[in-house]
Amino acid sequence: MTASLLQAPRLHRTVLANGLTVLVLENPVADIVSARLFIRAGGAFEAPHQAGLVSFLMGLLTKGTETLSSMAIAETVESVGASLGTDAAADYSVISLKTVSADFPEIFALAATLLRQPSFPHDEIDLERRLTLQQIRSMQEQPFTIAFNRLRQDMYGEHPYALPGIGTEASVSAITQQALVDFHRQHMRPDNVVVTIVGRIGPEAALAQVEQALGDWQVPAMPPPALTLPSVTTTATCSMVAQDTNQAIVMVGYPAAPVKHPAYAALKLINTYLGNGLSSRLFVELREKRGLAYDVSAFYPTRLGLSQFVAYIGTAPENTATALESLRFEVERLQETVLSDDELQAAKNKLLGQYALGKQTNAQIAQLLGWYEILGLGVEYDQQFQDMVAAVTVLDAEAVAQEFFHTPCISLLGPEEFVAPVAQAQA
Amino acid sequence: MNSVDFPASVIRLENGLTLIHQEIAATPVVVADVWVKAGAITEPTEWAGMAHFLEHMIFKGTDQLPPGVFDYAIETQGGMTNAATSHDYAHFYITIAADMLPQTLPYLADLLLHAAIPADEFSRERQVVLEEIRQAQDDPDWLGYQAMSELVYQDHPYGRPVLGTAEILQQRSPEEMRCFHQAHYQPDKMTVVIAGGIPLEPTVAMVKHAFRGFASPPPCPVAAIAPVPTLPGVRREILHLPRLEQSRLTMAWLAPGIDQLETAYGLDLLAAILAEGRSSRLVRELREDRQLVQDISAGFSLQRDCSLFTIQAWLDGKDVDRVEAIVCDRISELVANPITEAELARAKRLLCNDYAFSTEAPGQLAGLYGYYGTIANADRCLSYVPTLQRYTSAQLQSLAHQYLTPLRYVSTILRPA
Repeated sequence: MTASLLQAPRLHRTVLANGLTVLVLENPVADIVSARLFIRAGGAFEAPHQAGLVSFLMGLLTKGTETLSSMAIAETVESVGASLGTDAAADYSVISLKTVSADFPEIFALAATLLRQPSFPHDEIDLERRLTLQQIRSMQEQPFTIAFNRLRQDMYGEHPYALPGIGTEASVSAITQQALVDFHRQHMRPDNVVVTIVGRIGPEAALAQVEQALGDWQVPAMPPPALTLPSVTTTATCSMVAQDTNQAIVMVGYPAAPVKHPAYAALKLINTYLGNGLSSRLFVELREKRGLAYDVSAFYPTRLGLSQFVAYIGTAPENTATALESLRFEVERLQETVLSDDELQAAKNKLLGQYALGKQTNAQIAQLLGWYEILGLGVEYDQQFQDMVAAVTVLDAEAVAQEFFHTPCISLLGPEEFVAPVAQAQA
Repeated sequence: MNSVDFPASVIRLENGLTLIHQEIAATPVVVADVWVKAGAITEPTEWAGMAHFLEHMIFKGTDQLPPGVFDYAIETQGGMTNAATSHDYAHFYITIAADMLPQTLPYLADLLLHAAIPADEFSRERQVVLEEIRQAQDDPDWLGYQAMSELVYQDHPYGRPVLGTAEILQQRSPEEMRCFHQAHYQPDKMTVVIAGGIPLEPTVAMVKHAFRGFASPPPCPVAAIAPVPTLPGVRREILHLPRLEQSRLTMAWLAPGIDQLETAYGLDLLAAILAEGRSSRLVRELREDRQLVQDISAGFSLQRDCSLFTIQAWLDGKDVDRVEAIVCDRISELVANPITEAELARAKRLLCNDYAFSTEAPGQLAGLYGYYGTIANADRCLSYVPTLQRYTSAQLQSLAHQYLTPLRYVSTILRPA
C-alpha cells in the first residue's frame, strides 16, 4: 500500500502571490476531477450568539452571486451532471466539487465565483432560515443526536465546540444579512484559502485554472482573524433525557488532546483499539461476548482545540447500568492495564491500514491533503502522522490514558424508569 | 461469457460458482466481495429474518476458525470486512492490501462454506439482532419505509422487514439455520467478485482453491411462490409516531423487475427529471418556489421481481394532502406533455456521470458487478449508459403513462402523534 501521498512525485504545492495555497495531484486513472476549496474558518470562529453562522453562510454560497441567481447556479452545475456542495466543520469550511474532466474548468470557475462574490439575497436567507430551523427541530427525532448534543454541551460549556454546527433555534433566528456579509469579508480571503485538485488534469492546467479564477483576488491589508478559544474546565457530569424509546443510549465522554498535542497519535491508536471495527475491544467485549448491543463504538474527532474521546452504546433499557459500567471499565482500565505488544501492534496495523484505504478516490485524497494544509499541519503530516502512530509504545498509551481518562461526562437517554435510577446513582 | 466491451472477466468454475474479476493496475488495494442468492426472499414466511441473522452468524466461525479470528486477521492486516443482507441477496466483503489477499481469502471462503453456527453463539448473537431491531424501531424513517413496503408489496416477501421480528427469531433454532445455510450457500448461488490490484491468473487459482468442499444441500423448507403484486387503486395509510418533529409523505408505484431493464433505466431518468437536484421539477416548484416542503426526492430502486418508484417529501403536516395532489398533477403532466430536450439532456448527463463517479474505487465496482451478477448478469450493468442515451422524450412519456399513474399508487404518511 502506498505509505505516503508525498512519495508520489505527482503532488505539486504552490502558493500564489496573494497567499492562496494550491495543491494538485494528477491521477489519470479515471476521467474524474475532484476539487476542494477550503476556508480557514469554521464554527470555532463563532461567538456564542452567532452559533450556526458559518454553516448558514456556507449553505448560502450556492444561493446567489452578484450576477447569478440560485436557480442559475443549480442549472449550471446540474446541466453538466457535476456535483457541487458546501460544508462547515468545527475548524474549517469547504466547497467540494466533482466533474468529468472536460467540465472541470467551467465548474471550478463557478465555485471560485461563489466563494468570492456571494450576494446573500434576502429571499434566499429567509428560505434557508426556514429549512435550517426545521432541521434543528428534526435533530430531536434521533436519540443518538439528542444524547450527543447533551454530552457536548456538558463537556464544553461556553466553548464554541459546545453547540452543533447548525446552531440553535435562537441563534439561527437572529442571523442577519449584515452578519453574513461581515463574516465573509473577514474570513473569506485568499491567504485563508487552500485549493486542492486531484484527478485527470495536469498540474500546469490546474494551476492555470486557479490563477485565472482566484489569482486576482486581493488580500486585505489587515491580517486574518486569529482563532482564540476559551479554556474549558470539565467537571464530571451526568445528564439524562427521559424518552420512551425501545433502546437506551449510554455515552461517556472524556476531554481529549487537540491535534497538535503530543498525545494525539496515541489517542487515535487507543480509539482504534477500543472502538474501530469488528475486532475492537468494545465490540468484542460488549457485543460479541455479552450481546449487549448492535452498535457500540468510540470516536475521537481531530480538532484544533480541545477534543473529546467518546464511547457509546445502544442497548435494551434494562441494561443501562451494566452498559455504563462496562463502557467506563473498558476505557478507564487502560490507566492501569498496559496493552500487550501484540495488542498495540494489531491496533497500529489496523489504524495505518485503514488510513491507507481512506485514500482510494480522488475526492478522498483531495479532502485529506487540503484538510492537513488548512489545519496548519502541512501536507507532510500525511507521512508524519503515520510515523507518529508507528512510534507509540505501550507505555505511551498508558500515560495518555492516565492523563485523559479520569473525568467522564455521562449522557443517558431512554425510558425514565430505567435511566433515572442510573443517573441518580451517579449524583 | 465475456462481452466485447465488458472490462471484467466472468468465469464459471466447474462446481458452478461464478467468478468476476477485474484488474485495476494502479491500485494497491483489492476487494473481494462474495454475493449469495440467499436474501430474505428465499425464507419461508415463518423463518422471516433468517437470512439476515445468518449473515451475523457467518462471522461466528467454523470448526477450523474460532469466533473472532477472521475479523482479527483481516483488521490487523490493515483490512476491513463487513456484510449486508437485502431481499435479493446477502453479500460479504473484505477490502485489503492486494498482497494480503492470498492469506485472507481462504478464511472468508471457510466462513461462507462451513459456518459452524454454534448453539451458544446463536443465542448470544440473537440478542445482538434484537438490539438491531430495537434500534430500527426508534428510527421513524425505518418505520415509514416498512409500512410503505407492506402496503405496496402485500404478501410478497419484499413487503416484510429483512430484520425479521423478535417473535419469529425467538422461535428459530441453530439446526434450522444450519439447514438454511447449507441449502443456500451453494456454488450455483454464489458470485465471487475480485477487483483491484491483482491479475486474473492467480485470482482464478486462489478462488478455485478456496471455494471448494461445499456441503451437499439438505432438504430445507422453501419460500412459498409469491405472486408479483399489483395495485388495484390508491392505498393510503397514516401512521402517528411519537417524537416526530416533521411529517413525511411517501408515494410509491410498482415497476417491473430485472427482466425489463430498459424500462427500469427509463424510470431512473423520470426520477431524475422529477426530483434530482435543485433545478428538477418538484424540488424547484415545491421547495424553492412554493416552499411547501423541507425536501423532496424521487428514487427508483431496482429489484429482481419487481422494482419500486418512490417520491418522498418531508413537510409540515398541514401541507400533506396538498403536496400529494400536486405530485399527482405533475405525474399526469409527464404523460400529457413532452419532456423538453434540455431537461432530458440534463437528466441523462446527471445519471451517466453518477455512474462514472460510482465506479471509481474497486469496492464500488465489485458491488456493482456483484449486484448485477446476483439478480441478472454482471455485464448487464454495461447497458446502463447506452440505454439512457437512447431514450427519447416520447418513450419516456409512454413509460410514465404505463407505470406512473395517479390512479394506482401507495401513499404512506407519518404524522407526529
